[in-house]
Amino acid sequence: MCRVALWTFFTLLFVLSPFVGAVNLDIANILNTSSLDANIFYNLRLPRLLFAFFAGGILALSGLLFQTLFRNALMTPYTLGISSGAVFGVGVAIKLGLTTLLFGIGAITLFGFLGAFFTVVLLIYLSQFLRSNQQESLLLLGIALSLFYSAALMVLFYLGNSIQNDMLIRFTMGSLSIIGWQSPLLIGVVAILLLGAVYAYRFELQLLGISSDAASLKGVDTKKVTLLLLGVASLSIGALVGISGPIGFVGLIIPHIITKFYPTTVERRLLKTALFGGLFLVACDMLSRVMQTQSELPIGIVTAFIGAPFFIYLIISQKKY
Amino acid sequence: MIILKNLTCHYEERVILEDISLKIQKHLTLLGANGAGKSTLAKAICGLIPYDGKIVVDDADIQELSLKERAKLLAYIPAKLEIYDAYITLFEFVLLGRFPFKKSFFDYSERDKEIAAESLEYLNISHLTNASLHSLSSGESQLALIAQALTQKSRIIIFDEPTANLDPKNSKIIAQHIKHLQKEQEILLITHDIHLAKFIDAPIGFIKKQKLHYYDRDFFEPENLSKLYEVEFDAQGLKYV
Repeated sequence: MCRVALWTFFTLLFVLSPFVGAVNLDIANILNTSSLDANIFYNLRLPRLLFAFFAGGILALSGLLFQTLFRNALMTPYTLGISSGAVFGVGVAIKLGLTTLLFGIGAITLFGFLGAFFTVVLLIYLSQFLRSNQQESLLLLGIALSLFYSAALMVLFYLGNSIQNDMLIRFTMGSLSIIGWQSPLLIGVVAILLLGAVYAYRFELQLLGISSDAASLKGVDTKKVTLLLLGVASLSIGALVGISGPIGFVGLIIPHIITKFYPTTVERRLLKTALFGGLFLVACDMLSRVMQTQSELPIGIVTAFIGAPFFIYLIISQKKY
Repeated sequence: MIILKNLTCHYEERVILEDISLKIQKHLTLLGANGAGKSTLAKAICGLIPYDGKIVVDDADIQELSLKERAKLLAYIPAKLEIYDAYITLFEFVLLGRFPFKKSFFDYSERDKEIAAESLEYLNISHLTNASLHSLSSGESQLALIAQALTQKSRIIIFDEPTANLDPKNSKIIAQHIKHLQKEQEILLITHDIHLAKFIDAPIGFIKKQKLHYYDRDFFEPENLSKLYEVEFDAQGLKYV
């Protein structure tokens, strides 16, 4: 019952979402492709809807992946400093005034991607020096990296001019305002690749969710599978953060919400987590557009405002669904 | 058959096992004080920790086997079930024993599922098929681990202190299952439970000061136990006073 309500409610918001915003759209006009309403619908609202959906899916699925691979409920690309790495990369690009396209992708996106990639390589390198029971230490490494990146970002703020700083501040709040179809297509492909990789290794993941030893004993090359899945997830996050900026909380809370509603093995939660992550971010985006102040509310603020209280409620209620 | 040649294991700077050579024909029960290196030996055989020397299982050096081939030969049952993905059902957990046989990227076959169901049936825990693992008692968890090992169909099963967390009733159930499994499988049993060791018909190995010593049934003589464990035993067992 609760499950049906959950899916119905969020699917309804998904369908409603493209009709909500600064301009009210007339459904009749949308079919007329030459109208302004149709232009807004097809070139702004629809790509944005899909972008938010794929972005939410990537964030939630990466969160579940990190939590399972490290067997720790706090592990997400966000808490490990990978998002911060991407933000710092973007900061550097903005400071250097790189706004041109490189290989058809914006330099800012590319630098975000490289920031995430560099952070993952650094984490993997550093984790070799940790003892076998490394989850807590790795989390601490991630936190240390995040703090380091924050400090480095402060240096960029200090050195930047006001236009650059304004751009950077906006970016660090996270935003889903994209124009046209390039970003949703790119992120859509990334989301499908990520889902494909996770699906291909779903049973390895199930074994790793028991313990690293259990997986080894059944013949899983734990190092290879862990690196591969972490790599794919981190690069997906890098590509996403390069476009949208950091969007917190989704990767942390969505896997937990789905586990509350579906207390099953991780293998059965993969698709549901990705799907619900997408729907959740679309709903948050819709809210950010409804609660218009001067301009729309940055999405990262909305996810945190909704996510944190809901998460706290779920933890203290301990109700079985 | 497991053959160890000059096996040496370190944990950081500390030598846990030094230059151990042994040949397990079929069964072996391995005893020793805490920290003597029993579990280390088992983990080395399973390839979970690095070692110096050579481990040969059924004529194959285990380092030359792929991980899946190794899993087909050996199953390891830890003392305690540790699990992060706690909502996995008993059936799904037992089915994981078929992983080494499964085609990469594909789902488990119907035959795999039959084998898993048969293991549950054999151990009389079919009624728990859809129970999630975190809801099982210690005794049931131990049975779940055995069911998974049976589903894995490896000829050698290594039990690492199977009765360490169990009450007498569940210890007895596990002991009877181990004895029964000895007919089909080769069992390496690691334990502190002298009752269990006595009940299982197998040669005894005792690890002391990094070395392995062999015994027959004379191991259970009170004088011998007193000497090895450095506490007093009498005909009834360990003396607490």
